[in-house]
Amino acid sequence: MSNRLINYSLIFYIITFFVFLFGPLIIMSITAFNSADFPRISPWDCLSFRWFNEGMVDYVGQHQAGLLTDQKLKEGFYNSIFIGFFVVLLTVPIGLAAALVLTQINPKLRELFYSLSIMPVLFPGVIIGISTVVLWNRLSGLSDEGILSEVGRNGIFLTILAQTCFISTYCFLIFVARLQRFDRSQEEAALDLGATQTQVFFKILLPYLAPAIGSSAVIAFLASFENYNTTVFSILSDRTLTTVIASKVRLGITPAISALAFAIIVITVLAVIIYEFYKRRVDRLKKIEEQTLLASQSSDSRVQKIEIPKINFIKPLSFFIIIAIILSILFTQVLKNNLYGDACIANVEEEKKRKIEEQRKLEEEKFKLSEEDLQSGNKGGNSAFGDIFNSDLFEY
Amino acid sequence: MSASVELKNASVTFGNFYAAKNINVKINGGEFFSFLGPSGCGKTTLLRAISGFQDLSEGEVLIDGVDMSRIGPNKRPTSLIFQNLALFPLMSVADNISFSLEVRGVDKKKRRSRANELIELMALDGQGEKMVHQLSGGQKQRVAIARALAIEPKVLLLDEPLSALDLKLRQRMRTELRAIQKRVNITFIYITHDQSEALTMSDRIAVMNEGEIEQIGLCADVYNKPLTPFVATFVGENNSIDGKLTEVSSNEATISTENGSFKSCLNNSDGKYSIGDEVFLFIRPEALELAKNGNFDNVIDINIDTFEFEGNIKNYFAKLGSNKKIKFSIPNSVDTSDIHSGSNIQIGFNKLNSVILKKGQLAVDT
Repeated sequence: MSNRLINYSLIFYIITFFVFLFGPLIIMSITAFNSADFPRISPWDCLSFRWFNEGMVDYVGQHQAGLLTDQKLKEGFYNSIFIGFFVVLLTVPIGLAAALVLTQINPKLRELFYSLSIMPVLFPGVIIGISTVVLWNRLSGLSDEGILSEVGRNGIFLTILAQTCFISTYCFLIFVARLQRFDRSQEEAALDLGATQTQVFFKILLPYLAPAIGSSAVIAFLASFENYNTTVFSILSDRTLTTVIASKVRLGITPAISALAFAIIVITVLAVIIYEFYKRRVDRLKKIEEQTLLASQSSDSRVQKIEIPKINFIKPLSFFIIIAIILSILFTQVLKNNLYGDACIANVEEEKKRKIEEQRKLEEEKFKLSEEDLQSGNKGGNSAFGDIFNSDLFEY
Repeated sequence: MSASVELKNASVTFGNFYAAKNINVKINGGEFFSFLGPSGCGKTTLLRAISGFQDLSEGEVLIDGVDMSRIGPNKRPTSLIFQNLALFPLMSVADNISFSLEVRGVDKKKRRSRANELIELMALDGQGEKMVHQLSGGQKQRVAIARALAIEPKVLLLDEPLSALDLKLRQRMRTELRAIQKRVNITFIYITHDQSEALTMSDRIAVMNEGEIEQIGLCADVYNKPLTPFVATFVGENNSIDGKLTEVSSNEATISTENGSFKSCLNNSDGKYSIGDEVFLFIRPEALELAKNGNFDNVIDINIDTFEFEGNIKNYFAKLGSNKKIKFSIPNSVDTSDIHSGSNIQIGFNKLNSVILKKGQLAVDT
């Protein structure tokens, strides 16, 4: 009984946790499909993909850009990718070098070196950003023209430097973790077999570190891509994706941001699914290999049967099919109720215009009414300050 | 092909601790030489000094008469087989074996043929394309040897490579290692704490203790004529009985103990012994026999305590006097139906099968 209770509360906890984690993301994703000019779920206007494409033109004739037509967003996105690429190029070798130094250094200095190396992570990103700008501002001020003054005032260059400063520490930590498990006797064995230090590095150490290089590159890129607090200062007059989004939020948010969020979520989920399939494939191959190895090394009577695990496509497939069915039902309902397409949007906008018109008329009428009242002198006076200073105001 | 290795006054210190102290040994070309000692005696340090991973604090390493002090491990004509083998897990067996050729820029075709040659020599046929983790323990062992032999080193250094194997495999690998050494005819320097491994494979043995060499000699000499109490008790089993010398001649002496006087041999005495010296008498368990079965120089009265059946031999633990114990082994074929726990019997030994040594450190507390 109590066991069941524990199970239920566990399930409840897990559901709550996931709702907490993914609820906002799901809500935001849904708002991307609402045609309204503000990201919201209710009131729901029309199902529309316009925030992924061209956006809309509002009543005062201003163009609210959608995801594909937003030039600032596009520019910021390309800048972010560009910066991320160079940050990876810089941080991975720097982190690797620092991690290697840590393994070679005198044990007495190791602690100090380690503390110094991880310090950039402990600094607030704001300070790294500002200090980079301050330094390069001085450096670029040294000459009126030439490469130094050009580069020192280039926001993208400064952002790459500022981000490299602390992201290389992430890479450093990943490499340190991997190197701690490195069997030093492999290095010695290679040396003993006649390899030079360089050959040991390229033939033994680097292949061993390959997974760490991969994961640190990914983490460095993501850290660079999503960074805001350092970038906002070092980027100067340029823009990255995060600074564009931030400035949009300040100037008035549109569902184009939701559309962007949805796109990012979809890419992430797809990447996770692909990785999961890949991993299962590798696991399966490994298991087959283990089984055949076991079978080849032991006598026949001990091996029951080589069991080759099958990839179960049915479960994930059925999951996707269920989601597709739900979506198609929803969509047909939407179509039935005329909630999709330009006609709907036009309707809604017509409705809105009508409402606004009504509102305006109502206000005007109110205004007129009160003027009549004023003229009749019933409510308030005609003289200055609404007659409140008249001595007979309170005499009835 | 093979080279001699000489250590001259070699010492290695870590801080103020001597890992190896004043080692002098000359290992001949083509010899199978073992360093035998308990863990922490400095034998691995010596091996690392020979291979170049450890700098000597004093003294020098000579390989074929050439001083190695300024030559790195990758330039020495030695190959080291590590305790954990240190095979490269990301390479195939063939790539592992031909690694030393690859780093020397040998072309792929030659590497391939040399790898195949060694795969055949090590009875690893058909395993060349496998990864290291797909091999069994004994196969890994042979890959490590093949890898070390690929560049035809003049000296092969082995750091307890058999310690991780189970008993049967270990016994087979012993014979195999010895056979390989005879086949390739290069100098093998072997490190072990297992005296039976050292005795079965080696031409000569150096027994080490506390960073110093206690004795260097042929296997039989080290076993039969130990020079120190440590060697006597570390190499094989030994009963020790303490007493005083009552009679000394050039190579014979009489020791008087609580349990009577015994006659025994003196090794390399050179007048070092005189009457009244505190000494140990060492007798191997297998040198003790039932007194009724023959004539012996010495006879001891004992009281049987416990019994242990080991298969080929039967071990008896007996009380000798009030507080001493003695162990003796009798071949399984000898009839011992009349010996029981608690029976008083006589055992004997010949003076040639025992040895008297000055008191000193024992390998185990007796």
